[in-house]
Amino acid sequence: MNRPLPPPGGQSRDVSGVRPYLLTSGRSQPVDESLEIEAQVATSSQGATSPGTLTFEHRDIVELCRTTMSVAEIAALLRLHIGVARVLVADLAAHGYVVVRRPSAALGQDLGMIERVIRGLETIR
Amino acid sequence: MDSKQSADAVARRAPTPVKIVIAGGFGVGKTTAVGAISEIKPLRTEAAMTTAGAEVDHSDLTPGKTTTTVALDFGCITIDEEVKLYLFGTPGQDRFGFMWRDIVHGALGALVIVDTRRIDDCFPAVDYFEKAGLPFVVAVNLFDGVLQHHIDDIRWALAVGEHVPLITFDARNKLSVRDALLAVLHNTFRVKSEAVGAGR
Repeated sequence: MNRPLPPPGGQSRDVSGVRPYLLTSGRSQPVDESLEIEAQVATSSQGATSPGTLTFEHRDIVELCRTTMSVAEIAALLRLHIGVARVLVADLAAHGYVVVRRPSAALGQDLGMIERVIRGLETIR
Repeated sequence: MDSKQSADAVARRAPTPVKIVIAGGFGVGKTTAVGAISEIKPLRTEAAMTTAGAEVDHSDLTPGKTTTTVALDFGCITIDEEVKLYLFGTPGQDRFGFMWRDIVHGALGALVIVDTRRIDDCFPAVDYFEKAGLPFVVAVNLFDGVLQHHIDDIRWALAVGEHVPLITFDARNKLSVRDALLAVLHNTFRVKSEAVGAGR
């Protein structure tokens, strides 16, 4: 699992000095291995245009996430263990190849969201 | 747009994921229920757990350590243009670990499926959700449309309080599964709005 990511565009990884944060209900959180299994992963424009330098699972994930999907879906479709998928996604997010939308832990208490899901399910025939 | 702005824009367009846990003993119909309603074919992912337990599914060659592979079946339903609902089945093995925590954390509620021939099998899930404070509904899976026991007898055998909804459903039927999920959500709504009302 120790396949280091090549720096994008030949720059050193510390050039920007900013880890790519992502949005969760308007706040920012770093991506790490505690990534939720349902967190949504999407290929960034950087990932879409420069995947050629990536190899193996890193490349597979960037290709797969041209369609936004969860960490669990990535693991299932690429036949990776969940723990491995999380680490790979965290690597890719840190280098800007994918962006991640993490769920807010407070969703379970959010009455508005619960109602919204109820409305959505009621349309199923 | 610079890459940070474009990354934020991509993240904003990504759906908000929510989830409901589908629990119950081995063979009760968790994967059937997920499959009946999921838009995607149910997927299975695995996690490796290192345990010191006596029962193992397979062992690696490290002395004193055994590795178990835990399988997790799940599906997905599009709620609307911004929200996707995932249904995560709990691992079939009767063991708890990091996977349960990850499945349960932030969930909107849980559906505990019961087979009346093996009611005990659901106890670990019921205990777990009660301790975790995750609102849940118990659903008897009717294989042939007939309830073998009176519903009150089932409630007594389950030893869950009157506040826990107990329903019947057919895990093979999409609309029946939908109604079970609606029961889960209505129950969570009630529990959470009562908590808000009580100032908790």
